[in-house]
Amino acid sequence: MSDLLGYIVTGLGIGAGFALVASGLVAIYRVTRVVNFAQGAFAVLAAMLTASLLGSGVPHGVAELGGVALGAITGLLVGVVAIGRPGTSPGTSLIVTLGLGVLAYAIEILIWGDQPRSYPGVPGVAEVGGARLQAHYLLIVAVTGPVFAVMAWFFARTDLGKALSACASNRYAAQVVGIDVRRMGLLAFAIGGALGGLAGVLTTPVQQVTFDSDVALIVNGFAAAVLGGLTRPGVALAGGLLLGVAQTLVAGYGGGAYQVEVALVLMLTVMIVQAARTGPVAETAR
Amino acid sequence: MSRPVVEVTGLTVRYAGATALDGVDLAVGEGELVALIGANGAGKSTLVKALSGLLRPHAGTITVRGRLAQVPEGREMFGDLTVDDNLRLGGWRNPEGRRGRDTSPIYELLPELSDLRRRRAGSLSGGQQQMVAIGRALMARPDILVVDELSLGLAPLVVTTLVGHLRTLNTERGLAVLLIEQNARLALDMCERAYVLETGRIALHGAAKDLARDPQVTAAYLGGHVEAGGGLEAGGHVEVGGGQEAGGRLEAGGHASGGHVEAAT
Amino acid sequence: MKRLGFGVLALLLVALPPLLPERHLATFVLLTLAAAVTVGVSLLMGYAGQVSLGQASFYAIGAYTAGLLAVHGTPPLLGLLAAPVIAAVAAVLLGAPLLRLRGHHLAFATLAVQLILLSLLAQADWAGGAIGLQGIPRFSVGGFELRNDLGYAYLSCGVLAIALLVARNVVASRAGRGLRAAATSEVAAAASGVAVGGYRLAVFALSAAFAGLAGGVYAFYLGYLAPGSFPVLLSIEYVVMAVVGGLGTIAGPVVGATVIVLLVQVLNTLGTQPGMPDYAPTVLNYAVYALLLVVCVLFLPKGLVPALDRVRRGSLDKARSIR
Repeated sequence: MSDLLGYIVTGLGIGAGFALVASGLVAIYRVTRVVNFAQGAFAVLAAMLTASLLGSGVPHGVAELGGVALGAITGLLVGVVAIGRPGTSPGTSLIVTLGLGVLAYAIEILIWGDQPRSYPGVPGVAEVGGARLQAHYLLIVAVTGPVFAVMAWFFARTDLGKALSACASNRYAAQVVGIDVRRMGLLAFAIGGALGGLAGVLTTPVQQVTFDSDVALIVNGFAAAVLGGLTRPGVALAGGLLLGVAQTLVAGYGGGAYQVEVALVLMLTVMIVQAARTGPVAETAR
Repeated sequence: MSRPVVEVTGLTVRYAGATALDGVDLAVGEGELVALIGANGAGKSTLVKALSGLLRPHAGTITVRGRLAQVPEGREMFGDLTVDDNLRLGGWRNPEGRRGRDTSPIYELLPELSDLRRRRAGSLSGGQQQMVAIGRALMARPDILVVDELSLGLAPLVVTTLVGHLRTLNTERGLAVLLIEQNARLALDMCERAYVLETGRIALHGAAKDLARDPQVTAAYLGGHVEAGGGLEAGGHVEVGGGQEAGGRLEAGGHASGGHVEAAT
Repeated sequence: MKRLGFGVLALLLVALPPLLPERHLATFVLLTLAAAVTVGVSLLMGYAGQVSLGQASFYAIGAYTAGLLAVHGTPPLLGLLAAPVIAAVAAVLLGAPLLRLRGHHLAFATLAVQLILLSLLAQADWAGGAIGLQGIPRFSVGGFELRNDLGYAYLSCGVLAIALLVARNVVASRAGRGLRAAATSEVAAAASGVAVGGYRLAVFALSAAFAGLAGGVYAFYLGYLAPGSFPVLLSIEYVVMAVVGGLGTIAGPVVGATVIVLLVQVLNTLGTQPGMPDYAPTVLNYAVYALLLVVCVLFLPKGLVPALDRVRRGSLDKARSIR
């Protein structure tokens, strides 16, 4: 029983990372209709920078913020390339972000090499209801919760957030009232970058990061986001947590094998069921 | 005509080689109600987009003195957002910051919206949405309102209410209105002056009451009955089949109807 | 003109291998195999309008099919013939549910399929697991064994030729026209009686068969297979080659694969110069793929071949109009 509780809390910690990546995908997709393949790269870059900063004596907190800031800046740059040219279709932008994700590999290896990196997080072991787990998982959950609350407040209560939602809701109308849709798209990319960066910074102490960790992150993030049709951050959060817990349970009781398949099969099933419900033509080709 | 708020000269817009607007001249004076009528595909929507700066013209100039706001065709709600948020975003470009996005004046001008302020715009009826669209445009504190297809798909009674609001805004606030309409009877009845757009050119323009009596306009846009005034009862749309055909006849007959209506080619 | 192009290509493929120094033959074999896979990717993207980020799965399925059969004593020729068949069967089974998806959904679905396949292969002891499948015999037909790289160069040339010829015939067929219509507007194509779903599945299976056949040759050529030989990046490389060459053209995949492989070779040589850091080849490799993909998609959206065609035709038109 205490095993189960431990797995669940650990799973929530891992799932929170997926949820952050997923919400970044959602933030970008809603405004720009672009699925950002470079989303995992934000996490890797942020984690690598944080590791370097901590290594050179920068205190905890500042180093992590630096990582998140790099995520946001990278997000903005990816956005400039992906949607900066007028008339770039979302399908084209997807391929561009795919290319930029590979470019990130080159940059990461150039600066940090191809060896896995990590850094210490919250030290020690915590006890939750009799279950023992790494204390850092509690920090991940404790940070992710408020971040989602702030996001919800930002999109629902501030004019800037409403303008972003307006672009998501009706692009043409947004232009009519004078919202610069392209600039909002870039802002969305920066927000997505920061969220991806936060995911990397938070999870690296419990899951070391290599330059190609982005594939697992983007796939799990996409799996979580696709549950809510890529447009609902709340569902992405739930989906991420669910995926994290499911994977931890499978790993815990299944002896480590097949945990990758859980997310992937779930994602495939969800997409196929969604497609069957809406009909294949509802999603415009590319 | 008083000093123009909007002045368009020689406006030409082409899409992939095809000419959508060809040398259009048009002006709306301060506090003036002007109609632009024309059949489907005559180029009305292109003109609206060019006026709002959403389309770059190929040739010609558009001069706007003051602020222009658009009520787009099909109302174009932010369907997931509340009515109040829709209105707020109408003031997005206002330089006064948060104060510029205060929606309370709109609820005074359009009291019907007060009860709807927390509703999702996507859940409203067509008439309510059109009211929100007008309110959203008013948030920009415009000197001229460009209304694209006010009556499209709305019940006659609803249209009457909306026209009433626009008239009040015009007389009490001096708001100029450029009304782009397929329903020519409605447009000629509400406005002082009117332009007739046919296949990208201004075929006719003049005082609305003269145009309403013009036999060619009557034949092409008013279903053949000369009936000045009381246009609102007609409500529905006047569908015009062959715009091109009508264009030929109008140009030929433009001068015949006397000095008031001039062919503007 | 088209016929001439084919002739020139065929001549090149026959004449080039003996002229290449031994160390470049390996590059030639891998290039030709990559081009054969890319023919399928280009067909899928250009004619069916769908991105597959998992094409290396079918390459892997073909390779493991041929490799496993050969290891267990089946004649290599049978193994090589089975490779495209099994890959195509896998594509039909996977495609039936997956091809309901479009755009980015399909891209992620194919990526997921590959990740699942890699994970399963790594856990499958009967396929060598993560360590890999070893001891695959050399390719042989009736006692004649392909020993040197030159033989494999010609074998892979044959694979590429088959892929190109089949692709050309498909494009020219009624089904090809229907597919092109479906890529532009699915609704319109369906309305005019094109069996969109069926055609699309057929192209998916065909592209998988090309990849499977190439994978089979790869298995005999290397004699060793591991899940790590088929990374996600390999699938992305095929997409880059297809995009760079020009989607929906016959020559595109060959041009794309050649340009990229040669560029990567040049940069590898550069990166392994004395004085260069040991990570230089990897970094340059990734950078080339990334930049070529981004630049092509943004600035040459139709790829190199149509762009060159346009330049040539443009100059012809100009010459004509002066006259």
